[in-house]
Amino acid sequence: MLVPLSYNLRSLFVRKTATLLTVLGIGATVAIVSGVIALQQGFQSMYTGGGRSDVAVFLRPGANNEGDSQFSRDRGLKLIKSVPEIEVGPAGPIASMEAYLALLLPPARGGVTNVPLRGVQPMTFEIRRGEVEILEGRNFTPGSDELIVGRRLVGEIPSCVIDGVLELNRTPFRIVGVFDHSGQFAGEIWGDMDRVTTAMGRFGPNRVVAKLREGVEVGAPDPREVMFADEPPEPVPGSLAERLKNHPEVPARVYTEAQFLASQTVMLTGILGGLSAILGVIMGLAAVFTATNTMLSAIAARTNEIGILLSLGYRPVPIFLSFMFESLVLGLLGGFAGCLMALPFNGIKAGTMNFQTFTEMAFAFRVTPAVLVIAVTFSMLLGLIGGAWPAFRACRMKPTDALRRV
Amino acid sequence: MAHPMIRVRGLTKRYQRGGETLTVLDQLNLEMEEGRFYALMGPSGSGKTTLLNLIGGLDSPDEGELIVAGEDLADLSGADLAHWRSTNVGFVFQGFNLIPVLTARENVELPLKLTPLSRAQRRAQAETALKLVGLGDRMDHRPRQLSGGQEQRVAIARAIATDPKVILADEPTGDLDRKSAEQVLELLQRLNREFKKTILMVTHDPHAAERAQSIVHLDKGQLGRIEHNQAPVAAK
Amino acid sequence: MAPFVLVWRNLLRHPLRSVLTVLCVAIAVFLICFLRTMVTTLNAGVDAADNRRLAVMSRNGLFAALPLKYQAAIESIDGVELTTKFQWFGGYYRSQKNFFAQFAVDPETMFAMYPECKAPAEQIEAFRRNRTSCVIGSELVKEFGWKIGDTVPIIGSLNPHPEDKAWEFQVAGIYHSDVPNFDNRTLFLHWEYFEETLKAGGNPPGVGVFSIKIERDADAARVIADVEAAFEDSEQRVDCSTEAEFQRQFVTMFGNVPKFLGWIGSGVVVVILLACINTMLMALRDQAAEIGVLKSLGFTDMSMFMLLVAQSVLLCLLGGALGLGIAAGAEAPISEFMVKMFPGFAIHNDTFLLAGAAALAIGLIAGAAPAWRARNMPCVEAFRGTD
Ligand SMILES: Nc1ncnc2c1ncn2[C@@H]1O[C@H](COP(=O)(O)OP(=O)(O)OP(=O)(O)O)[C@@H](O)[C@H]1O
Ligand SMILES: [Mg+2]
Repeated sequence: MLVPLSYNLRSLFVRKTATLLTVLGIGATVAIVSGVIALQQGFQSMYTGGGRSDVAVFLRPGANNEGDSQFSRDRGLKLIKSVPEIEVGPAGPIASMEAYLALLLPPARGGVTNVPLRGVQPMTFEIRRGEVEILEGRNFTPGSDELIVGRRLVGEIPSCVIDGVLELNRTPFRIVGVFDHSGQFAGEIWGDMDRVTTAMGRFGPNRVVAKLREGVEVGAPDPREVMFADEPPEPVPGSLAERLKNHPEVPARVYTEAQFLASQTVMLTGILGGLSAILGVIMGLAAVFTATNTMLSAIAARTNEIGILLSLGYRPVPIFLSFMFESLVLGLLGGFAGCLMALPFNGIKAGTMNFQTFTEMAFAFRVTPAVLVIAVTFSMLLGLIGGAWPAFRACRMKPTDALRRV
Repeated sequence: MAHPMIRVRGLTKRYQRGGETLTVLDQLNLEMEEGRFYALMGPSGSGKTTLLNLIGGLDSPDEGELIVAGEDLADLSGADLAHWRSTNVGFVFQGFNLIPVLTARENVELPLKLTPLSRAQRRAQAETALKLVGLGDRMDHRPRQLSGGQEQRVAIARAIATDPKVILADEPTGDLDRKSAEQVLELLQRLNREFKKTILMVTHDPHAAERAQSIVHLDKGQLGRIEHNQAPVAAK
Repeated sequence: MAPFVLVWRNLLRHPLRSVLTVLCVAIAVFLICFLRTMVTTLNAGVDAADNRRLAVMSRNGLFAALPLKYQAAIESIDGVELTTKFQWFGGYYRSQKNFFAQFAVDPETMFAMYPECKAPAEQIEAFRRNRTSCVIGSELVKEFGWKIGDTVPIIGSLNPHPEDKAWEFQVAGIYHSDVPNFDNRTLFLHWEYFEETLKAGGNPPGVGVFSIKIERDADAARVIADVEAAFEDSEQRVDCSTEAEFQRQFVTMFGNVPKFLGWIGSGVVVVILLACINTMLMALRDQAAEIGVLKSLGFTDMSMFMLLVAQSVLLCLLGGALGLGIAAGAEAPISEFMVKMFPGFAIHNDTFLLAGAAALAIGLIAGAAPAWRARNMPCVEAFRGTD
């Protein structure tokens, strides 16, 4: 025979202050942890959001990021010619060389930051058809000293405005447009590859990007493993990745774009994941303690009632379950409060250095449904753990003792 | 005739309850002599506890004059009133109201902490009071470890620890069995007789009231007759 | 005056509740120490900067390299006592997970410029003489077990060896620094070897940063202006700043991270404050009737206020002491664990102070509301009890 649930719900209501304080405490704990996860979701979606598996990224052998990679113009061209897997359009192979540099600019929050500057070729826009979109102004004219800036930079970096002028070393470049992209590019400045590399005194591009024919498997091992394993894994035998690795003239490392982007944030993902886990455990302990205190006092105040229930013939297990239920509701209320507290974080802009690339990452907190699910689950867990000991104590009371201690 | 220890003139106390004004005590006049044992009787809700609290300075009247132990309570407030209470009145409650986390001795010592006595003096005085109530052997017990009667006797020891002139007892035997009640009543009588304490005891029990020298009747906030008991039932 | 015996007895009345509350406060204090130390560690370089040192880099940022010939031009500027150059090598040992910084440096001047980077004189001399040698930080010795005379293979991911193999450096010396802006996980390689090898591959290196030491009586602002002016019309303009400013700029690249850590810290304090208020309200509920009794015995309203505040403060101070103890004890293991990401994790004294003060403040605030109610509770009311 189960104890009626309304009995517990009423008790939570009667002890309003304690319930409220506990719910707020659990809520704030959940909000803090969700905040960190929302931050991680924010930049992860920014990086992996635009990652395509039909686009290949070619780097110099041994390079793990664009900054490390380096091609001369000739080697880049030769590489494009020697890969038949690249799709060919009316204007030739759909592939482009990209230079990856950084500009030291002052962000609105103060100080300085390295904003990624990407030199691209007209074919880049062919690869990115439907992905990159001009929001304001126009695209830069190929071969000219013009730039377009990503949407996320607008407001974050005051000098990134239409008609603004950025000095690339000694050459002034005019900003003619703002573009959007669902992934990392919206945090970058784009210009003509040749003009940008010349102005910055660089001799060539950093990577080659190409659209692959349908059904082509790159066959590259997970770049995260390549980076961190003691024995780097080999590419799939017979695949494009293996062929390029051992290419006599233009050896290269190749990844799908999705693979590559995931590898660019492993460190930050790891750090934020670690931080949210540490905070979750430590703060979770505090929340559990609070819930335990509240339930202990709720049960102490009802010692007499428990005695009556026991003398009426209720068994210990239903009494245990009844208090566990009460604590679960407490946790759940905390979870909802936590979600409400975390929601305002959604969309708050954040910027930090990705210390794998040493460049600015502009992104926003993203309170995704997954974050909310984690928050609610976490809070229920807190409630259950917090209620366990008090509920156990309640169900182990002897009816005689419980009735005596009025 | 001894001069009055408690003088009540035109005492009025009202409570506000949901927009209604409830006059609990209405223009009450009363004098109580020093060194006498009074019982206060009356139906439930007649304002006995309210009167006791007013006399003890726990609550303040809406109208009227209240002079207790030579002090006009209207002149005292806050810390002064608290200090006056600690030296002039001792309370005994129906529910004992001992501090559960303190031992009997510590409970009795508690009001002595408000006096300039040294630690050793406090201890000695608490022990004397406990011996007086017949609990010299239970000094280090916690209230939970005592019976109701014993608890109430500790409470009486606490009430007399500072040697106050007035003892106010609100149904001190209400929660006790016959035998324990007898002991408590005897104790109060002894305090009155040997130590000349002025005692005001609220009670519902006519047998208990018979122990007093005077019985004051209170009804609906009005003073009824005062009986003078020529030969109070003596301790056996 | 509150009856202090009651403060302690009341805390022992519900030992589990008191212990859990103490642990909550300990958690808050520990987290404050931990989070704030992350921020102070980021800023450590700024605080420890030498104001006689300047840094020169390209105005295009750290990614751009300056021509080597700038060094002579800088040295000719009035007030410059010493210059040395750094270039980021960008390599790793075996796997990327063994990440640490490597810089190509000029052995003649590097150690003179940075006296805080301490190594035995004969080791510095050996480094100077052997162009394929290197000097490594003491943390790297701990991590990889390298010793003097070992050959360390480094794969150059930014600067691959022209012969398509790992670079090899012999360990000539081991340095150690006690100053937080100079970590002990860096490998310094010989500039001449670096330059020659890359030149042979047709790819001569530039300079990432020139460090300048100015003469004792030189005006830093004037030297900075002169350095920047000297290259105003050259192929690369430069940005010259004091070491403190340079470090500060680097810290700003972490963007909002310090601010977010601050948010988390404040959130933690709020959570624990709520927990403590909850505990103290429970205490008030338990003690309400007794407070009435105490008042009837002649204890003042103020002493009842103190009775509750004292309980709250005592709980929080116990928790604070425990938290500080945990933080102090955990400092070394955390520092060890985070040495790669966060070299120099060390809790400052004022962080300990701040965390202790936070515990006290939590105690006072959590105690205040229930204590105020205890103070104002009419003693008649108190007998009736509340639940
Ligand atoms: N704080 C209060 N607010 C409103 N009404 C009150 C308050 N305290 C007492 N009363 C009312 O005042 C009246 C007198 O109360 P009091 O406690 O003095 O009665 P009593 O004579 O002691 O009764 P009993 O014999 O039952 O103890 C009662 O009707 C009671 O409801
Ligand atoms: Mg009464």
